[in-house]
Amino acid sequence: MKTFVLAAALFAAGTLAASAQQLAPSPTLDAIKARGHLECGVHLGLPGFSFANDKGEWTGLDVDYCKALAAAVLGDATKVKFTPTSVQQRWPILQSGQVDLLSRNSTITFSRNATLGLNFQGINFYEGQTFIVRKKANVKSAEDLDGASVCVAAGSTEEKNAADWFRERNLKVTITNFQKNDDAITAYDSGRCDAYTAGVGALAGQRAKLKVPDDHTILTKPISNDPQGPVTRYGDERWQLIVRWVLNGTIAAEMLGVTSKNVDEMKANSKNTEVRRLLGAEGGFGAMMGLPDDWMYKAIKQVGNYGESYERTVGLASPLKLERGQNQLWTKGGLLFTPPFQ
Amino acid sequence: MSKVLAFINDKRVRDVFYQAALLIGLAALLVYFIRNASQNMVQAGIASGFDFLWRTSGIEVPFVLTNYTQSDNILSLFWAGVANTLLVTVIALVLATALGFLIGIARLSSIWLVQAIAGAYVEFVRNIPLLFFVLFWYFGVIAALPAPRESLSVFGVAFLNNRGLTIPLPDAGANFRYAFIAIAISCLLHWLFLRWARRRKEATGRDAPILRVGLVLLLLIPVLALAWATLATRWDIPVLRGFNYRGGFVVIPEFVALLAALVTYTAGFIAEIVRGGIQSVPHGQIEASGALGLRPGQTLRLVTIPQALRVMTPPMTNQYLNVLKNSSFGAAIAYPDVVSLFMGSALNNTGQAIEIIAMTLAVYLVIGLAVSAFMNWYNARIALVTR
Repeated sequence: MKTFVLAAALFAAGTLAASAQQLAPSPTLDAIKARGHLECGVHLGLPGFSFANDKGEWTGLDVDYCKALAAAVLGDATKVKFTPTSVQQRWPILQSGQVDLLSRNSTITFSRNATLGLNFQGINFYEGQTFIVRKKANVKSAEDLDGASVCVAAGSTEEKNAADWFRERNLKVTITNFQKNDDAITAYDSGRCDAYTAGVGALAGQRAKLKVPDDHTILTKPISNDPQGPVTRYGDERWQLIVRWVLNGTIAAEMLGVTSKNVDEMKANSKNTEVRRLLGAEGGFGAMMGLPDDWMYKAIKQVGNYGESYERTVGLASPLKLERGQNQLWTKGGLLFTPPFQ
Repeated sequence: MSKVLAFINDKRVRDVFYQAALLIGLAALLVYFIRNASQNMVQAGIASGFDFLWRTSGIEVPFVLTNYTQSDNILSLFWAGVANTLLVTVIALVLATALGFLIGIARLSSIWLVQAIAGAYVEFVRNIPLLFFVLFWYFGVIAALPAPRESLSVFGVAFLNNRGLTIPLPDAGANFRYAFIAIAISCLLHWLFLRWARRRKEATGRDAPILRVGLVLLLLIPVLALAWATLATRWDIPVLRGFNYRGGFVVIPEFVALLAALVTYTAGFIAEIVRGGIQSVPHGQIEASGALGLRPGQTLRLVTIPQALRVMTPPMTNQYLNVLKNSSFGAAIAYPDVVSLFMGSALNNTGQAIEIIAMTLAVYLVIGLAVSAFMNWYNARIALVTR
């Protein structure tokens, strides 16, 4: 009897010890490792955010996030397959498991979070909705659009925002809803509408699709607040954790002054413990999520921190020429913030 | 015992049994699919059920026939979409049939050029996808129309520009309601008169003044009624202010483009059905009617078409159903039909794909079955009565 109790106690202790090393199962992460690449849902084509060039290479802020995630998970930023999705396709494609996540300038809203079975994992772009109009129409602000026709993508937050905004102000505006952003832009360009509405950042990119971009101007004052970020399905909390903290990691890196250029030197020499934890020099943070400890090192090394990515894709070094604005670090007057790596 | 065996071996009993088993099996499969889907959706945290229909839609629709406004619920949005689908389908059906008959008869013309043009049209239309037509008409229409400030004015009351055709709208519809009632009554009188005239002719052989009575009942009375209603009503005449004309009713270019695409496309197919129907009438019939002294026009009207219609009705039913289904191409150019509004905007706002797609399917199914039922009734009516 004594031997039995001892054996049982030993067995229980052994199981406990073993389970302390065990992680919650993550079917998504296992599937990514097994297939050898990340499946990332992006926009059909939005310069600055997700856009494929004539060689089929994807670039943009949302694309960069997926590359960083691939570098963190698989050690290689090129191991991503991008699936372009329309406004209508995006949720079903994620819900049905065809992609591991969406990084597709989609606005975080309450009802999407509560009824679509989707979680938003943070904010990688603070967007605000505005209008592009013809310069000769002499429109200074959205209030001047009384009586105008506005083209918009159906099912977007912009569609409802615009309808609400004009109704609240008793302005009569005709809203024509197209299935794709590009169709709405083409219709605006061909004279069907007086204005096309989308986010400030999106418009800066889409402007290039107009026949004569210089004939148009973007209204500066936004009518809404549209935070955007990566989206995952409900369930598989460990995968959600990874998606959330890779985004946090790119922002933390900018905050801590870690760039793709100095990351090797920082990892070797930095005295800052948060930098050391972020880059895997101490703390074993990667292992807590089932990733290698150099997960963020690889991501920063191969893709760069948030600021580098921003400048390259939508910032002043890009054709979009967007100021950092709200998308600046909170320490520099913006809204970007990340919880500590502790 | 032998009674039981006889019962089991009875062919009718077995037939009923197998059919009942199949039906129960299918029903069980359906129930399984529905349960499976709803369980999986609950697990994935996706909302299900039809509660969303009573939520505020918040979607602005540029072309509504119902009383829908942006603050109504999603169910009203659905009906607004259904009404728009029906509108474009019904008008396209009528126009496509008329144009198709014209082209079909032209293909049989004895004039070479007419025949060649009609033939080329049919071949062209039948070998090009409908989406091309829709986009061609849409961007063609918009490109061709002037901006609001350079609008084409129709007698200073209606205005055509690239935002659509703005037409005046009566402030109150009561006078028009009376006018339409008057027109309906005169149509009914005309129908009764024709019946009386036919019976009298059959009984006594005397002709009635069909043409004169027809002109009065079908032309004079409607024109007078509409003229009275037009003059007696106050009109909301569109006025140019700011970006566009204010007031009146706007027929949007999306509607015009979709209608034009459906009509020109379907007419090509209908023309072939008409040609096939006419050619199916034996040549001897036409020679016989000539021998009886009928003129070519009379032969076409009294001998060829009635017989051709019997051959044409079943394939025409198919084309009519195609027009209904093809009206969903409106989604490609922002025509606010049920697909665009309900399966596009509402689906995206609520994410309830299964419910919304099932409801949209039901709409097409119900309208389609109604069209089929009507055409079957018509087919039975014109079928050759054999004695």
